[in-house]
Amino acid sequence: MDNHTLWSLRLGYSGKQSKTIEKIGLKKFLEQSYDTKVDSKIPDFLENSPKSLDEYKELRKKYKTSSPDEVKEMRKKEGQTSFDMKAWWIAKMNEDEFPLREKMTCFWHNHYVSTFQKVKVNYWVFQHNQILRENAFGNFKILTKKIIQSNAMVRYLDNVDNRKDKLNENLSRELLELFTLGIGNYTEDDIKNGAKGLAGLGIGEENAVYRRFFEYDESFDYFGKKGNFKIEEMIDIIFEQPNIPYLITRKILKWFIYDNPKDELVQYYGDYFKKMKFEIQPLLTKIFTEEFAKNNSGSKIKNPLEYSLQLRNELNIENPNGKLIAFFLKEQGMDLFNQPNVKGWDGGNSWLTSQVFLQRNNVADMLCNGKNLARGKKEMDENSMMKQNPNTLLNVKLNWNKEGNNKEIIAELKNRLLFQTDETEQKDFEKILKYDFDSKTEGSEYAVMRLFNFMIKTPEFQLI
Amino acid sequence: MKMDRRRFLTLTGTFTGGSLLLPDFLYSFGAQNGLVLGEQCVIFVQLNGGNDGLNTFIPFEDALYYNLRPTIALSKNEVLNSSKGMAFHPALKGFASMQQSGDLSVIQNVGYPNPVRSHFRSQEIWQTAPTNQEYLNDGWLGRYLDLQCKEHQPTAGINIDSIDNLALKGEEANSITVKDPNRFKTKSKSENESLLSNNPQLDFVRKIANSVVEGSNDIQKAVAKSAVSDVVYPKTGLAKNLEWISKLIKGNLNSKIYYTSLGGFDTHDNQLAIHKNKLKELNDAVYSLYEDLKKSQQLQNVTIVVFSEFGRRVKDNGRGTDHGTAAPMFIIGGNNRGKIIGNNPNLSDLDNGDLKYEIDFRSVYASILKNKLAFDASEIGIQNKALEGLF
Repeated sequence: MDNHTLWSLRLGYSGKQSKTIEKIGLKKFLEQSYDTKVDSKIPDFLENSPKSLDEYKELRKKYKTSSPDEVKEMRKKEGQTSFDMKAWWIAKMNEDEFPLREKMTCFWHNHYVSTFQKVKVNYWVFQHNQILRENAFGNFKILTKKIIQSNAMVRYLDNVDNRKDKLNENLSRELLELFTLGIGNYTEDDIKNGAKGLAGLGIGEENAVYRRFFEYDESFDYFGKKGNFKIEEMIDIIFEQPNIPYLITRKILKWFIYDNPKDELVQYYGDYFKKMKFEIQPLLTKIFTEEFAKNNSGSKIKNPLEYSLQLRNELNIENPNGKLIAFFLKEQGMDLFNQPNVKGWDGGNSWLTSQVFLQRNNVADMLCNGKNLARGKKEMDENSMMKQNPNTLLNVKLNWNKEGNNKEIIAELKNRLLFQTDETEQKDFEKILKYDFDSKTEGSEYAVMRLFNFMIKTPEFQLI
Repeated sequence: MKMDRRRFLTLTGTFTGGSLLLPDFLYSFGAQNGLVLGEQCVIFVQLNGGNDGLNTFIPFEDALYYNLRPTIALSKNEVLNSSKGMAFHPALKGFASMQQSGDLSVIQNVGYPNPVRSHFRSQEIWQTAPTNQEYLNDGWLGRYLDLQCKEHQPTAGINIDSIDNLALKGEEANSITVKDPNRFKTKSKSENESLLSNNPQLDFVRKIANSVVEGSNDIQKAVAKSAVSDVVYPKTGLAKNLEWISKLIKGNLNSKIYYTSLGGFDTHDNQLAIHKNKLKELNDAVYSLYEDLKKSQQLQNVTIVVFSEFGRRVKDNGRGTDHGTAAPMFIIGGNNRGKIIGNNPNLSDLDNGDLKYEIDFRSVYASILKNKLAFDASEIGIQNKALEGLF
C-alpha cells in the first residue's frame, strides 16, 4: 500500500486525503487539520429537543403525567433524533476536507464515554460531543475538566445521585480508572474520597454545577493531599501523578496505529506528552511524523467506520445514506453514542468476530453490486424514519487508470487497498484480470469491479 | 406447479438429511432414467486458457489435420480410436473408456457467433451466456440459482477455486467459493495448520477468515457423513477438488452446482509436452471421479461438464497454437446418451484460419438446465433451443 494512502486512512477514514498528504507533506497536513474551524451551530434536528433546564424539567413532568403510549411515542421521537445525530456525525467524518478532527473527536468519544441510552437527552449528548470536537487538539487536562463537568457525564456516571449523605462512587472511580491514571495508580481510598469531592455536582443550565445542599463540606485525603477539593482541584492533583501520561498515550497509539503498541513506545511518547504539559497537538505531531517514517502498515484492524467509509469513498457513492451506515456500524459493534459500557469499544481484535467478518464480506458483495448496506433487513424496510429507500440501487463506480494493463491496474488497486499481498494472491488477481485484459473494451469495468470485490474480501483489506 | 413439486422434493431432502425419508413410490421414480429428483447435480470443469480441441478429440483420418499441423499433429498410431474418424488424445484413456461404456457424450464444434479470442472476454461470455454479447454482471448459473432458491441458500452452488466464479454470481449469494476443502476436515486441525506470518494481527484476521465460510457447517456435516471412497484419486489439484466434490455429493450436501477449474491450456509454445501433461491430469482426475460415482451408484445423478473458453487455431504456429474458436465439450454421467453429437470439424471451411462453430454453447446449457435441473433456460434469458440428443 502506498504510504500516503495508509496515512490518509489512519488520519481519516479513507484514501481520500492521500493526494493532499503527498502534495503538501504530512506536517502541513497536520497543521491544516489542527487549524480547522469547529461548526458551533446547533443542528436542525435538535430543534424540538429540550435544551434548557426548564425545558428538561417540563419534559420530565410530561413523562410522568402522560399515558404509557404517549411516553413511548416521545421516547421513540428522541430515539429518532439520536439517529439523526449519528447520521450528522457520519456526514462530517465523510465530508471534511481534513477529517482528523472528527477522528480525534471519535477517539475522545470512546474515551469519555457517555451514551444516549443512559443520558437520554440528545442536546446534552450533542454538547458533550461538541466539547470533544472543540478540544480535540487542545489540552488533555483542560478537556478532562470540561468533560467531567458536562451534563451528559454527570448523568451517565450517576453523579446526579452523588450526595454528601449518600455518596455514589461511579464517576470518581471512572475518572481515575478509565479517564486518567488507570488501574494500579490510585487507591480505593482515593476513589471513596474523590466521591466526596464530586458530591453535589449535578445537572446545570449549560454544564454541570454543584448544588450547595448536596456538597461535601469537610476536607478529605486525595493522593496524599488534604483539603476540601472540588472537581477542578482534584483533576489538578490527578495530573500531578507520575503515571498520568501513559494510559491516554497508549490509547492514542491504539486508535491510530497499533492494536498492540509496545511499552517502550508508550513510555517514549508519554514522557514527551508530559513535557509538553499535556498539549495534544505536539503529541500527535510527534507520533504521526515519527511513525510515518517507519514501516508499520498492517498493525491495526480497521474499525467499522474505517471499513465502511473507505468502501464508500472507493466506490464513489454519492450522498450515502448516513442512517444506513449508522445501522451497519451498530451491527458491526460500533454504535455511535452508544458504547456497550463505560470502557468503550475495546478495538483491536475485538472488532472482528466471525460473524462481523462474514457481514463485512456480504456487505462488500452487496456494495459492489450496487446494493445498499443492510438491504432487505426487515427492520430497515419497515422503519418509517428512513427517508431513503434502502433498496434503491446505488450508482457505484471505481476509479482506475484506463491506460493501464492488467498488472498496472492490479498494482493501482493494491496500492489503495491492501497493505501487503503475497504471490498466491497476485496470481489470483491475475486470474481475474488476465494478461489480455483491455481497459478500452466495453464492459471492462465489470472485471475491475470483480477484482476490487475480491481484494476487499481478503484478510489484508481488514488491516491498516 | 412443476417447480413447486421439485422444490418440495429438494426441501425434503434437505430437512431429513437426504432422501432417506422420501416415500417409496418416489424412490422408484428416481430410479427411472431421465426423471429429475432433488439430488441431481452438475459438476463443471472449466479448462482455462483455451483448450486445443483438435488435439483433444482428433480428426485423425483427415489429411488436412496433418497438413495444417506439421509439428504438433498426433499420429494415427498413438491416438485412441473413438468412432466416425475421431480419436482421443493418448492421454485421455479414461475418456475413451467412459465413452465405450456409454457414459460420455462429445459435442463437437461448440462455440458462439462472432467469437472473441480474448481469454478474459470469452470466459465472461461462457460464464454469463449473454444473447448478443452484451455485458452481464451476473453469471448464468447465478441467475438460475436466484430463481431456483426460494431464500438465500449459501451452499446451492459450490465453487472450488481460489477466486470467485462469475458463472455463479447472482443477485443473492447462493454459492460459496471454497479455497481449500481440506480445512473442512476438522476445525481444530486447520487452525494449527495455517501458516503464521510475522504479523500477529494478520494471522488473527486470517484465522477468522478461514473459519467463516458461510455454509461451512453444512459442508462439514456432509463431509462427516460421506462414505469413504475406495477409489484412489491421483495427487493433483484437480483430482483433489473432484474428490472433495464427490465427498460432498455422497454426504448429501444437496448442492445443485459444483464448479472447479484447471489452468494451463494456453499452449502457444511447447504444446505437445504441456498439453499432454494437462490432459493427463484432467483424464486421471475425471476418471477417478467417474469410477467413484459409479461405484457409489451416484453417476446417474451427477452430470460432469468439461469445457474451455475457446479452442485453438487450426494451423500450428511452430511449436504451439494461438487462440481459436470452436471446440468439443464433454458430458459425462447423468444418464447422457453417450453419443458423438455434431459433425466432425470441417478443416476445409475455416473462418480466418479458425473452425466455424456449429453448436451454440448456450443450447448445451439449455439442455443441461432442461434435462438435468428441470429448468426452462429462457427464464434466465437463454433463448437458444435445448440441444437434442444429449440426454
